[in-house]
Amino acid sequence: MQKKFEQILMPLATKLGNNVVLKSLRDGFLIITPLIIVTSTFLLIGNFPIPGWDSFWTGLLGKNWAEWFSAVSNSVFSFTGILSCMAIGYAYGKNRGLEAIHASVVALISFLILTPTSVSIGKETVGAVETMYVGPNGIFLGIFIAIISVELYRFAVKRNWTIKMPDGVPPAVSQSFDALIPSGLVILFFFLVHILFSISSYDTAYNFIYTLIQAPLKHVGNSLPSVLLYNFLASVLWVFGINGPTITNSVWSPIFFVLTQDNLKAYTNHLEIPHIYTQPFIDIFTTYGGGGSTLSLLIVMFVVCRSKRIRELGKLAILPGIFGINEPIIFGLPVVLNPIIAIPFIVVPVLNTFISGIVFTLGWVPKTTGVLLPWTTPPIISGWLATGSWTGSVLQLFEIILGIMIYYPFVKMLDHQYLDEEAAALEEDLNIDFNEV
Amino acid sequence: MKAIIILDQTQAGLGGKERADTPLGGKKLALGSADTTAKALSKVGGEVIGTFYCGTDFYKDNSDLVQEKFTKMADKMNADVVILGPTYDYPEFSLMACELSLAFKKESKIPTIQATAIEKNQELIDKYKADLLIVKMPKKGGTGLSDSIEHLVEGCKVISENGDLTQFKADYCY
Repeated sequence: MQKKFEQILMPLATKLGNNVVLKSLRDGFLIITPLIIVTSTFLLIGNFPIPGWDSFWTGLLGKNWAEWFSAVSNSVFSFTGILSCMAIGYAYGKNRGLEAIHASVVALISFLILTPTSVSIGKETVGAVETMYVGPNGIFLGIFIAIISVELYRFAVKRNWTIKMPDGVPPAVSQSFDALIPSGLVILFFFLVHILFSISSYDTAYNFIYTLIQAPLKHVGNSLPSVLLYNFLASVLWVFGINGPTITNSVWSPIFFVLTQDNLKAYTNHLEIPHIYTQPFIDIFTTYGGGGSTLSLLIVMFVVCRSKRIRELGKLAILPGIFGINEPIIFGLPVVLNPIIAIPFIVVPVLNTFISGIVFTLGWVPKTTGVLLPWTTPPIISGWLATGSWTGSVLQLFEIILGIMIYYPFVKMLDHQYLDEEAAALEEDLNIDFNEV
Repeated sequence: MKAIIILDQTQAGLGGKERADTPLGGKKLALGSADTTAKALSKVGGEVIGTFYCGTDFYKDNSDLVQEKFTKMADKMNADVVILGPTYDYPEFSLMACELSLAFKKESKIPTIQATAIEKNQELIDKYKADLLIVKMPKKGGTGLSDSIEHLVEGCKVISENGDLTQFKADYCY
């Protein structure tokens, strides 16, 4: 059974993990993630989930105080489309062996070529860019532009379509001329694309990509079966020693990213929050203490087990576990390639996903605001901060306890096995005394 | 085939980086990740007679002592083979494994084998691959762990029986 799984999953995981486009999407989103976490903090301070928070600070600092904070959060949340394009252009350029900064700038310019730069206000038209085009709704367009523009750029570079400067010209000047023809090719291409869309019924590339790709993908990704599959695959891969989320994020991260940004935008503008299945949903309401929801496993190890090995490891790993670090037990228990622990390690996150999905759908817990918390934020606190409601913490607590109940019989089985080994070894003393040599 | 497995504190299940000062020690059973290797070994008639462990910082500060104690104890326990790791791409553990492996080569007759990932360890592997038997393995979270453990065990069988390593080295080692 294990061998069969491996035969099916390994080639797929290797392919997904090594695919340069998917890897670049992952790397690109990781470039923006710190910015989102930092600006999320400003958003959180501006909208802290405590009754009377707003009126207290308004009384103290004046009515504009919240705007000071939203100026920071909007600097990222309203521009995630264009930021994604730049970051993915950078990552893809780097992964394709180009000067990453050139690739990033070329992607940015291409994005701007396709972005409408006038806005109609009544009968007048003014020169301006609507944030609609450069924000969350432009993320998929940004992805396509980054990949196509960098690939075109590379096409020219690889064929040496460059202007060679004589020896003695400073490298910076020479590099700038190297980029001339490849950049020209990319700009010419997007110039033609711009014309093509302007004479089509879609009017803009944005409309075309959003209508035909981003909206349908969002719809498919924003569903319970989609996130169940995500967490099932992520957990199964971990059991085989593969960092599951790295692989599954290759496929899901663009969708989660868009859904999260939609929620953030709505939250910032005090509108109804649209989506359930966002990145915070995955991070905060499906696993606790890392992949496999190992905080529940650790609690069982710490509280119930009698084998010295398991208890000691439980004691050592519980504190890091609260903060989402589970490396000590993934390799030390071990979880990897351990058929006994594999079952709850897969079942618990999937069950948590199902329960959380239902609870959010029924509206028992408010949807996640999209605020990205540092991944080390402990459960209970994270549930409250991510939803702005104590019910989020209650859901987390319930799922941690449920996880404990599911892990219990399996960990006990392992505990018995280790206890037997320890008892057998007791007769001849388990410890190796290095003072003897 | 009686095997001893050498691990760092993380792989032995004694904590993470914060416990790198764990002093050398050992248990007469398969500890932490050694359990996985032990199961694979049992399929080819092998058994783990002990796990030696040492925190990577402790090793760095006391490498001579650890090398001396581990080699002498393995000799005393009459091991047929010493397995170091799998070390994944942990650079400190990989270095410790290479240095210990070399110490066994100089101070003991027991053959050694280790599994190490190339990531973060390119220079180390280049330095030691001619002298040591280093089986290829994926980095932490990479694909192919199960295969590399099978190869590690296959290598144990060959070296413990004094077999020809040419083909094994060509197929699975650096």
